Order: sequence, then C-alpha cells, then structure tokens
Amino acid sequence: MSENELKPVKARITEIHEMTKIEKLVKIRFLDPEFSKDFKYTPGQFVKVGVMGVGEAPISICTAQSDETGLELCIRNAGRVTNAIHNHKVGDIIWVRGPYGNGFPMDSFAGRDLLLVAGGLGIAPIRGVLQYAIQNREKYGDITVLYGIRSYDWMLFKDDIMFYFRSGEIHGVNLYISYEDQEDLVLTDLGQERINRVTTGLVTKLFAIMNKPTDNTVAILCGPPIMYRFTVIELEKLGFTPDRVYMTLERRMRCGVGQCGHCIVGTGKSIKYVCKDGPVFTLWDAKNTKGMI
Amino acid sequence: MLRVLDKSRFNEFFETLKGLGTVVAPVKTSENLYSFQRISRADEASLQYTRTMIPPKKYFIPPDEVIFNFKKEPGLFVEPNNIYEKYVLLGVHACDINAMNLLGKVFLKELPDKYYHERRNNSFIIGISCTPDEYCFCKSTGTSTATEGFDIFLYDLESKYLVSTGSLKGYAFLEDHPEHFSPTETEDIKNYKEAEKKRLDSFTNSLEMNGLQEMLDLSYASPIWKEYGDKCLNCGNCNMVCPRCRCYDVHDFMNLDMNTGERRRKWYSCMLKDHGLVAGGHNFRPTSAERLRNRFNCKGSLREDMINCVGCGRCTRFCPADIDFVEVMRKVRGEYDE
Repeated sequence: MSENELKPVKARITEIHEMTKIEKLVKIRFLDPEFSKDFKYTPGQFVKVGVMGVGEAPISICTAQSDETGLELCIRNAGRVTNAIHNHKVGDIIWVRGPYGNGFPMDSFAGRDLLLVAGGLGIAPIRGVLQYAIQNREKYGDITVLYGIRSYDWMLFKDDIMFYFRSGEIHGVNLYISYEDQEDLVLTDLGQERINRVTTGLVTKLFAIMNKPTDNTVAILCGPPIMYRFTVIELEKLGFTPDRVYMTLERRMRCGVGQCGHCIVGTGKSIKYVCKDGPVFTLWDAKNTKGMI
Repeated sequence: MLRVLDKSRFNEFFETLKGLGTVVAPVKTSENLYSFQRISRADEASLQYTRTMIPPKKYFIPPDEVIFNFKKEPGLFVEPNNIYEKYVLLGVHACDINAMNLLGKVFLKELPDKYYHERRNNSFIIGISCTPDEYCFCKSTGTSTATEGFDIFLYDLESKYLVSTGSLKGYAFLEDHPEHFSPTETEDIKNYKEAEKKRLDSFTNSLEMNGLQEMLDLSYASPIWKEYGDKCLNCGNCNMVCPRCRCYDVHDFMNLDMNTGERRRKWYSCMLKDHGLVAGGHNFRPTSAERLRNRFNCKGSLREDMINCVGCGRCTRFCPADIDFVEVMRKVRGEYDE
C-alpha cells in the first residue's frame, strides 16, 4: 500500500486579504498540477490545512469549484495552527490534504428555492454554496441569504455581501443582514438604504422580515452551535420538514477521515462521525442523533 | 484445517515462529499484571493469563508513534521505516482478536490507514483459548470466540493444543511445518467440545446486549451520567486499556535546528476535558457527565456493524474510581432502581 491519506501536499499562498481583525481570506494553489486537476470538491467539504512544525486544522472551503485553479479558505485566527497561517505571506507554502466530508448535495437541490442562513464565520461554507448556485443559476429557484453578524467590522466577504445586498436581484438573490451592535453606523445606514433588509438582533430576527419561503425551499445553515437550535425553531414554524433543512457542523477533528474519534456525536442508537458522515447533516439526522445540535 | 500441537513440542514450534518476525507474548510482570512483550524463549510467555493491561492493539497503532519525519527545507514529509516491522503475536485472546477486527473496520475501510494496514499485514497472529474471570463478559458481547482476524488459534486441551487456521497465511504455516503438528483424532474434537462447554459455563459476569442501543438513547437525559461522572476521575485509563478505543491526537515536534521535526500521533482519551474542545474555546463535551455518556454510547453502538465493546473487562478492572462498566450499562437498562 503506497497511498497515505495522512500525507499532505504542498500548496502556495497566492493571495491574502484581511477581512476583519481576526479573519483572512487565503487563496491557495497546489504545486502539483496533477493533484490540482484531480482535486474535485463540492461546497460544504473541508480540507485539513497544515503548517509544518505546528499542526493541522480543519478549514471549510469557501469557494465553489471552477475552471480557475486554486481555492479560497476563510481563516479565523483562533488557535495555534490558524495563528501560524495568519503569520504567512503571499508566496509561502502551506500543507493541505482532502477534500473531506460529504458536502452539500447540490444536485438534489436542483429545481428548489434556497434559503441560506449564516451566522458569523458560518458564512464561509455558505459562500461556497452561493457561488455554486450562481454558477449553475438555471438549476435553482429563488435564493435568499440571511446573514447575522456582530457589526459591520465583522462582515466577511464584504464585496460579495454588499453586491448581493445592493443588487442581488440581478441574480435572483435576496440578501438580508442582522447585526448585534445597535450603535453600528454603517449598518444603520444600510438599513435606511434598503428598507426591510436589515435588522438589529440575531439572525433569527430576519425570519420576520424576509419573504415567506415556498414549500419548495431547502434551508442551508451554518453558524455557531447555538444558532442551529433557534433557527430550527423558526424554520419549523414556517413548515420546514426535517428533510428540507441542511446544516454543516463544527467539531474537533484530528484526522478528517473517521479515525481519531474527536468528532463523534450521538448515542448508541445513532453514532455519527462529523468529519466523515458530515459535516453536512439534515435536520432529520440531528433529530435522530442526540447531541448533534 | 485442524491440527494438534503437543505441548512437549512447543519449544520447537516457538523457534520456528521466530523466523516469522519478532515474537511478542503475554509476560507476567507482577503478581496481578501481564504485558505483551518481546520474548526470546518460550518459557518467558505466560499463556494461561487473564488479560494484559495494555491490549495487543499497541503493535498496530502504537501509543505514541512518528507518522512523518519532516523537513522544512526543501519541504518533505517522509514516513518512518518502522511501519514495516514484522511481529508474531503469540497468545491473543478471542476478545482482543475481535477488537482488532473492529479496529480494522475503522482503519482499513474507505480511507485505509497506511500504518495500520502495513503493520497488520506484516503480523502473524496466534490466538489462544482462555478461562474467564469475574470481569469477563465476552460471552454477552458475542466475542468469546473468534472466527477470523487470526492466522492460527491454539485451543488448550491440557497436554496439547488443538490448532485451527483463520487465514491463508496460517494455513500455509501449518503446511510448511508439518514437523510440529500431528493429525486431529476424533477424541480431540470431543475433548474440545467438552472444554468449550465448561469454559462457557464458567462465566460469572454478563450483560444483556439486545436493545442496548435504544436503552442508551432513552437514557440520554438520565441522572446516571452525572452520578458516575461525579465519581469518574477523568483520567482516561479506561480508554488506554480498551482494546477497541482508537481515539488519537496528532502533534508536531520541531527540532532545535528549526528545520527538521516529527509529526506524532498518540493515543487519546474521550474522558479528557479537551477531547471535544475546538479552536475559539467552545467545548462540545465540557462536563465529566457528558464525556462519560459519550464514552458509554460509543461503546454500546453498532456503528461498525458490531457492538463496539468486546467484553474484555479491562475498563472495569483498571478503573481507579471503581466504575463498573457492566453495572453502568445495567443501570441504563433499568435493571436497578434509579
């Protein structure tokens, strides 16, 4: 056996954009063109990103596959590895393996309206879903994005978000923003710019002002653990059945391939590896697997 | 294929084993402890043993191993050579063989682990029959015998061993070394059946496994977890001695030259506080009760198509807080008043 799943490959950092005080958008390109060619992924999948001598961390891919080589990772400086990546410069090497996880079943969403709900850093995989849906625009119906942030300073992918906020209709996208910092002047102004598109409070507040979703809508969620519980309540009020709600989860992961045990969740009746069986699960999975959300 | 190995010929048999690799066997290390260790003489092995503290999985997934040697310049991750070492595991109990079969379901399935794969393929596993003690409940978990996962199995019939084969490698070994073995007599089969009946009748510990998964699910909010969580020291002993536990952590170690180093993986424990901790500080299992519940649910699940516990009794035997695995599961089943 010569394949070693734990062995990473080299990737070069081609661009770095500071998005917030602690989050950078890092664009990478694999050095091996063969590997690059074979590297196929779907939105919602993740890679293990490593810095030699420091370690590896699971990071979700925040782009949709395109002909352009390379992919983008939104990296929050939150731990040892991500801190080390933040100290990297354009041209530096990082180590990557993957892609891992199931990703969102984008094909099965064909013909449906999409309701994307993101809280904070949760926008990273959701952006991949949005990109994919725009690339394959004819496959999907209306797209609604609900994005909850603390304040304008914490807004990620500002160019994308502001574009869809202001002129998403061109692509059949309606984007709504909620923010927690009531003093935020930029968001207050945005709220005046587009009435009923911005509100203070948590992302669940947006359910009251968004257009009522059709029965043909799938909801796609990513955010901090607490967000799922409250968002699910709102979705169920709107009549979403458990098979129409998808969510991608975070857990500690050392291997990414269902070995190291850290991401295990559930009871004797249903045990799931978040890395391998997920990170994308339906609300049915969450109902059947205790402790998932 | 069935053969008979007379115990008077065991030394010669043992010498032949050395040709297959480094022989490791249970060795008595103190009054109550056994340990799988390298041996060079047959009489060093204690083949009539209860259980080793550390299970033989350590030869396939070592407690602490280098998975890569790395070099920053020019940027290389290189696997170490020791993954190709050949081991002969002499005297493995059926529970431990079944546990390794379960480990294989994790390490050898969709995305196989190279290290586990190589070591497993390079090993020769010789099972041995056992006598249960008060901790054993492998009869309940269906793992008191093994039908695969070994090369040959020695069933103790007092003056001789009945030798059965579990793999092509084992079959070839018997074929290649007819000098050690004699044909099986009808009497041997009769003796085997009698001995096996006696062995199965001698179990004193048991746990009803049917429907345990649903029982665990229904006990999610039970006070049991807090009760035992408070008792638990969160030391992780139960995980270290479990032949089925396989959680690991990975760490990089940089040498002082700041150019070379090692990526190591080490056994890890779901009872340790940071097992479910993610960057940013959120812990998915912050309390002892939640971690204990996770451990018991993991053990009781059928995630790998068979129950994730082989009834070896180690976690109970080596728990410093005297938490009895079977007792907890019986409480889950409602066999005691809560």
